[in-house]
Order: sequence, then C-alpha cells, then structure tokens
Amino acid sequence: MIPGKYRSVSGRATNNVNCGLHLVIQTSSLPEKNKVEFKLHKETPSFPGRLLQHDLERNYSSRQGDHINLVSSSMPSFPILQRSSEEKILYSDRLTLERQKLTVCPIIDGEEHLRLLNFQHNFITRIQNISNLQRLIFLDLYDNQIEEISGLSTLRSLRVLLLGKNRIKKISNLENLKSLDVLDLHGNQISKIENVSHLCDLRVLNLARNLLSHVDNLNGLDSLTELNLRHNQITFVRDVDNLPCLQRLFLSFNNISTFESVCCLADSTSLSDITFDGNPIAQESWYKHTILQNMMQLRQLDMKRITEEERRMASVIAKKEEEKKRESQKQSLLKEKKRLTINNVARKWDLQQHRVTSIAANQDRKDSDSPSQDPGQVDGSTISAFPEETGSLDSALGNALQGLSVTDTHLVEVDGDTLSLYGSGALESLDRNWSVQTAGMVTTVSFTFIEFDEIVQVLPKLKIKFPNSLHLKFKETNLVMLQQFNALAQLRRIDQLTIDPQGNPVVSFTLWKYYVLFRLSHFSMQKINGTEVTQNDMIMAERLFGILAHVASSELPQYRLISILGDARKKQFRYLLETKGKKPGIVSEENNDSKRLVGENTNRATLNYTTRDFYNEKLEEIKEKKKFCKMYIEDLVKEATEINMKNEALQKLWPQMFIELVRDAVIEIRNKSSYMKLCLQQITDQK
Amino acid sequence: MATERAGTWLPEAGKLELGSCCGPRMLSPERLALTDYEYLAQRHVLTYMEDAVCQLLENKEDISQYGIARFFTEYFNSVCQGTHVLFREFSFIQATPHNRASFLRAFWRCFRTVGKNGDLLTMKEYHCLLQLLCPDFPLELTQKAARIVLMDDAMDCLMSFSDFLFAFQIQFYYSEFLESVAAIYQDLLSGKNPNTVIVPTSSSGQHRQRPALGEASMLEGVEASLFYQCLENLCDRHKYSCPPPALVKEVLSNVQRLTFYGFLVALSKHHGINQALGALPDKGDLMHDPAMDEELERLLAQVPGLVNSVTASSEASCLPSRTPPRVGSPWRPLHHARKVDAESDGSTEETDESET
Repeated sequence: MIPGKYRSVSGRATNNVNCGLHLVIQTSSLPEKNKVEFKLHKETPSFPGRLLQHDLERNYSSRQGDHINLVSSSMPSFPILQRSSEEKILYSDRLTLERQKLTVCPIIDGEEHLRLLNFQHNFITRIQNISNLQRLIFLDLYDNQIEEISGLSTLRSLRVLLLGKNRIKKISNLENLKSLDVLDLHGNQISKIENVSHLCDLRVLNLARNLLSHVDNLNGLDSLTELNLRHNQITFVRDVDNLPCLQRLFLSFNNISTFESVCCLADSTSLSDITFDGNPIAQESWYKHTILQNMMQLRQLDMKRITEEERRMASVIAKKEEEKKRESQKQSLLKEKKRLTINNVARKWDLQQHRVTSIAANQDRKDSDSPSQDPGQVDGSTISAFPEETGSLDSALGNALQGLSVTDTHLVEVDGDTLSLYGSGALESLDRNWSVQTAGMVTTVSFTFIEFDEIVQVLPKLKIKFPNSLHLKFKETNLVMLQQFNALAQLRRIDQLTIDPQGNPVVSFTLWKYYVLFRLSHFSMQKINGTEVTQNDMIMAERLFGILAHVASSELPQYRLISILGDARKKQFRYLLETKGKKPGIVSEENNDSKRLVGENTNRATLNYTTRDFYNEKLEEIKEKKKFCKMYIEDLVKEATEINMKNEALQKLWPQMFIELVRDAVIEIRNKSSYMKLCLQQITDQK
Repeated sequence: MATERAGTWLPEAGKLELGSCCGPRMLSPERLALTDYEYLAQRHVLTYMEDAVCQLLENKEDISQYGIARFFTEYFNSVCQGTHVLFREFSFIQATPHNRASFLRAFWRCFRTVGKNGDLLTMKEYHCLLQLLCPDFPLELTQKAARIVLMDDAMDCLMSFSDFLFAFQIQFYYSEFLESVAAIYQDLLSGKNPNTVIVPTSSSGQHRQRPALGEASMLEGVEASLFYQCLENLCDRHKYSCPPPALVKEVLSNVQRLTFYGFLVALSKHHGINQALGALPDKGDLMHDPAMDEELERLLAQVPGLVNSVTASSEASCLPSRTPPRVGSPWRPLHHARKVDAESDGSTEETDESET
C-alpha cells in the first residue's frame, strides 16, 4: 500500500465527483499487469468513455460493440450472444455490452473464460444467464433496473461487483461471493446494512445515495478500508470501531447532529480520513475541535488535512470545555442546593403565613412547590464563589463575587449586581462586613419570603451598606397596605421597584402604583414592575394623592407636625446612634442627607409607616400615658369642681353673712356712751 | 389660611362637645341635674382635656420649646377645625361624635380625588385608604360598611367612592346604634319583643304596649312600623349618637316591611341624615371642593420634570383599572349620572345601585 498515492487520487476524484469510486485491484490472475487500476465515476454518465478509463479498454470498447452479434436464440426471450473468434482471441477475458438497450441478460455462450463483463447503461431488470461464467472477476451492472441481487451464487471468484444506480431495496444473496473486494451499491433504495458480515475480503463498500437511517451490522468486514455513506439519512453510527482496517469514512450529507451519535468513531484506531460536511453537526461551533480532540488518529477531516496547529487548538479548546463542564457541574450543584434551601424557606414561610393569617393567595404557590424536600440535605456549610451564568471565566466580575452562604432557614446570594435575600434570617447578613467593591457593585436587592415589617427595620442598614442599590424587588413579603410603601421613602435612592404579586396582595389594588409614585416622588423613579414610569403616571399620582399630602402637611397642628417629622428622623437615626457612633463623619453626612430629604418633600414626610409591632408598642405606651392623664385630669377637675362648689356656697352665704356682720356692728355701737367707755377701757388696758 | 378653613366647615359647629341626640342646651333642667364632672364627661370635654395633656406629655421636649399656652391654643383650634384626628390612633378617632365626623370629613377631603377619577375599588382598597389616615383602623368596620353597599353577596366586588363613603358614614358614625338595631332586628325576626331584651343598661320601665307580631315571620324582613317603635324607644334611651328619630320615622314610613340591610341602605342614602350628621356634603356635591381643586392645580404645577402644561397632558393618562378601560379623560365626572338617582334618595327600595 502506498498511502500517499491514495490520498492524492481520492483527493482529486472527490473534487470532481460526489460519489467517485477509486479502487486498485491486485489481480493475481493477470500476470502481465500486476495492477489493474479502475477509476469509476459512476455519477457522470454523460461521459461514458471515462467510465472505464483503462488504456486497454479504451482501445477496444469503441470497436467492440460493432462486432457483437446478438442472435435470437431458439429460446424465445433471451438473445444469444456470439462473438467472432477473432474478437474472442483479441479480448478473450472481457466483454462489454454498454448501451445495448438490453432488457435481459443475454445468454453468453462459449465464453467461460470471461473475467470482465460490462452491462452498463442497459435496462436489465434481473441478473441471469451468467452463472456459467465462473471465472468472472469483474461484473459491472451500473445503471440498470435491477430490483434484487440474484443469480450470482456461482460466481465464486467475483471480486468487483458494481450495482450502482439500480433499484435494489435489500442487500442479499451475496453468500457465496466470499472473495468480493469491491461492492458498489450506490444510488439504490437500501434502507439497512445487512447480510455482509461474511465479506471478510471486502475493501470498498459504497452505499452512497441510499435510504440508510443508521449504520450498524458492520461486524466481520475485516478488510474494509473505505466506506462511503454520503447522501443518506443517517442519524447515528455504530460498529465502526469493529472495522480494523477502515481508513476512509464518508458521512457527508447525512443527518448527524451530535457527536454522541457517532462516538464509536473515536474508538477506531485505523480511521484517518472522515467527512461530515453537510450534516447538522458541522454547523456547530464545537464541531471541529470536538472531532479533532476525540479522534487523534485522524489525518484528514472534510477533505482537508489536519495541521498540528489545529490539533493543538482543539486540545486547548477541549480543555476549556472540560473546565466549563466541571464549572457548570459545580454550578448545578450549587443551584440544587440553592433550590433546596429556597424550597425550605418557602415552606417555613408558608407555615408562618398560615399561622399568622390564612391568606388564600398563598395556596396556589404551596401547590406548585414540592414540599417533599428534606431540609437535612442542606446544611449550614458555606460555599464560596457563585459565578455568573455566562462568561464568568473571563469577566472581571468573577473576582468580586462574594460567597454564597446556605443554611436551612435562609439564603443570601450575590450574583453580579444582585443581592438576593431569602428568609428573614438573611437580613442579618446586612450586618456582615461586605467588601467595599461588592457593596458598591450591588444595585439590585431582592427580598423573598421575608415579612415587610422586618425589612423596614433594616432599611437604614441597607442604605449604608449598599449605597448604590437602585432596584428593590419584593416577593412573598406580605405587602398588604399602601402605607407600607411609606417606609421606602427613607432610602437614599430608588430607580426601580418590583413588587411581585405573589405574596404581596397590595399589588392587586388599582391605586398602588400611583401611591408609590406619589409617596416616592422624590426619587423620580423610572420603572415600577418593569414598566416605564411616564409623566402621565406622575401627574395621575399627584392628582390622586396630592391633596392627601397637602392636608397632611398644612392642616396638621404645628406640634403634631413636629412630632411626626421628629419621629421619622429619630427612627432614621436610631440605627446610626446605636452602631455608628464611632464614625462621626458618616453620621454627619447622613444628617445632611436626611435634612435635605426632609426638605424636599415635607408635605409627604408626614406620611410615614411604623411597623405593626412598633405601632402596637406605641399604642401601649399611649395607653399608659392616657391612664395617667385620665387620673390627672380627673383629679384636676374634681379639685376644680370642689373649689367651684365652695365658691358657690360662699357666694350664697356671703350676703347673709355680711348683713349679720353689719347687724352685729350696729348693735354694738347703739349705746354710744357705754361703747365709748368700753373703748377707752380697752385703750387703758393696753397700756 | 387657618381661619379660612375654619370658615369653610363649621356648619354643625354647635355639635362640638354636644351629643347630638341629647338635645338639651345649657342651663336646661337636665344639665342642672348632672354634677359638673358628669356634665363635662357627657359633653366629651374631659376626653379632649385628657388627650391634650396626653399629647403634651408625649411631645414635651418639642412643645416646651415653643410654649405650652401656644400648644393648648393649637390643640383646641385643631379640635374645632376637625384636623385633630389626622393620623391618630383609632381609639381616639372613634372616641367622640365630633371626632368621627371629623374623620369622615378628612377621609372625604383627602380621597375625593380618587372618587373623582371614577375608579371602582374593592373593600380592601378602601380599607387601605382609611389606614393611610388611621394606621390601626379595624378591618371589621370597613367590612360592615362594604356589606351595606354590596348586600352581603360578593364581598370582593368593586364599589364606587360615593356608595362606599355614605355607607361608611352610617356604619362608622352610628356603629353602636347599629349594633343595637341589629339586635332588635334579630329579636323581631325571631318573634321576641325586643324592648325587654336589648340594651341591658336601660333601667327605665316605660315600655310601650307589646306589639302583635302575627305574620311577621312569614315575609322577608320585619314590619316597618313596629320596627320604628322599637327604634324610637332605643333612641330615647341610647347613650351613643343616634340618627334623629324624625328622620328614621321618615325612612321607615315609606314602606311596609324591610330588612336590616334594607334599612341601612335607606339610612345611607338619606340626605337628611347626611345633613344632620354634617360631615359630608350632599351626594350631588360630593366631588365638589373648589378650594382643594385649586390647591391641587397648584401642586400639579410643581410635579417634577413636568414640561407641558397640566391640562395638555391630562387627556392621555388613564388608570389601568380592572374594569374595562374608560375612554377619554380620567376626569370624566362621575356624578352627573348620579344626580338623577339623588332625587330618589330617601326611598327604601333595596336595589343595589353600586356600579358592580
């Protein structure tokens, strides 16, 4: 074998024709020429001369037809062929009956030594009358109308059988052709490879342009070096690794879409040349490097020589692919853990919801969640690095990704610019020391399965820890009242707000969007639940609630205004005073910030929200005070009424008293002389 | 400004501190029968005094800075103007008839625009609006008011602002009275003579003659005249506010029989009762508040980022309501259609006129 020659020949041929068949037959029976080379271009019938481009044949084929006599025999249907003895001598071992418009095989008499028989381009429907030609090596029945392979059982020495462009539906009756070297069945209607396992000497098998849907049953073809399967409908290939000598495999124009369906090719050690062009697989971006990586033995792919460079590239890409795969496995593991945790949190939330209030809205979700997850599977381990879905390897973001901590009651996750909190326990994570970089990057904060009232309490922390957060998402947070939105006003900035209808009944209200726009108008929000806020929305919000704000700000008595605003301010600073005392710079900054904020919308600032617990606390406090006031006022009033009563009584008595006093005085001074005496007496007594 | 506002609403200012049902004025013999303390308590003076001191206690740092005399002046001024109930706790808001009327008025003033926009809202949504003014407003009251509008059937139906507001007014202002009425109604339905059972506080023995009940249980509801007798009796003895008996009589005199909710609907639609209560304008004028509209226009002009004039851009905005979208301006006045049925007010027909 001279591999170099093979390559050059086949390379050239396929440039010209799709289904070229190239073969070199080593015929021991032709001693004068050890090698007979045939080139068969079966798909170019317009050049019949080229069909057998052998010097010898070209010499005689043109003449031969002239000297053939087809004589009608005594048998009615079969013509009998006879050649002149001269011809017999000249071409003793070959006979060409090309384009003779034969509908049946003629009876060939006295030609038992024939080794080559050519019936190309006739209308033969059945192979017959050649069983006596037992020395036949080459039989060409290209372009006939044969429907079944038959009548060949005696041709034991046949080595080349060309049955291209016929109407064969099934590979059969080849049992005795043990020494078959070349079998060409292209252009038929074969749907299955079968009955070929005994052809252990077969080197070339052409099944191009048939109806094969898959490739298998290739066992036993131990000498097969070339297998042509172009233009079928093959979706998968098997058994190719059982062909020890297969070097060239043509699978162009089939229906192969995954590498998995042809993966047995990777196990073939002999394969050096393969084509996949015209298959869906060849369109894939991973096509080339996957093939190269899996089939190191390959020298040529789709008729192009594989260079070292390409091979190296393929291995690099494959390595990357491998890494990606591992990464995605890790990711899916993480995702699974995340899913379990979220399920767990969701279940807890449901339990809690049903205990607190039996909200029917939660029912739907409960059904959709699978409650069978085992909480024990998710432990409190901390997993580092939860990269983004795509491009995480190259992107700089990858470095800044923070840890994902999973416990069975809550979940905190930073994914790109999104901070997601599941379960009320997750709120504690805001106390953690977030790196400046991460904190700065977070622009979206999403809350799920957390009571809104609990969120309200951490909003000041959120404001400080994640100063760039612009987009808040709430899902399953029990937002039920419009006034709850008041709490969001204390944040620094919100561009977008997303309130998932799930677990937030407030979203079912017609007015909620307008209330949000009205109350948070100082943020100039851009989107609410994904919809752009238009100017008309703003006007509508003002129309609906402007008066409320106006009434609230202008009609509240001064002392109430001060106390309400003061409350809000106090609340805002409570956290600061508690934890941030050591950083006076920030506090003062916050101070200015909130002053400015309050100044911006005083008329709205009176609309604030105190969480239920806090409010109840306050009510309790008020109750206490009221009790005291009641007692105090009671005492005061009683005292006042007593005084009043005494006063009244005095008023009643006074005129009488006065009269009595005057009467007494008058009586005393009635006797002037005795009164004078008495007075004098008193004066002397004093001395 | 403050004086102006005080001028706009003091039609029933005389009612301040004067229990409306207990008609007697100063120096009447009944007044002399009471001790001073009892009198002050009955006229709710004590309530306000207590509350004033309580407020003072609560905000003593702030108030001490600008003067206690000033504080008391402001406090009692705001009580007069009815602005003292804004954002207060429910226990205070319902403490006196004046507070209740003030709250009703505040609710109307603040959310008139919502009604004007023509939106139909659910009970829950109205409740949310109430909670904007009073954070701990109980859901139960809102539900009861909605039941008057919706006649018990579908509680999550949509209601128009005016329907809800008038029903809510009756329910909120007369809530204790209505509870007693409900008890009377139940007793009448079951054939008992209510006068002996209801109002355990009543000690006076002036019972009317026992009315014959006869066929009352055969038909729906109770006989109107009998019902009225019981109610009149109740009004006499009731220590909470009641609608004027004459008006109740008017309501009940139009029909032979009626159900409890039929009675409530009739009460809520009766403009005489609305006038007697004095918190809200007549139904026809419900969307009318020129002073506030002026104020609103001023506010609209300040909407940040507003380029065009308000009027130019108003025609495009439309609320995404659950009802089929309204065509045209969202300011389509709702009440021109209503003025028609305002005429039929006072009738006791049980048709549900809410736009559900």
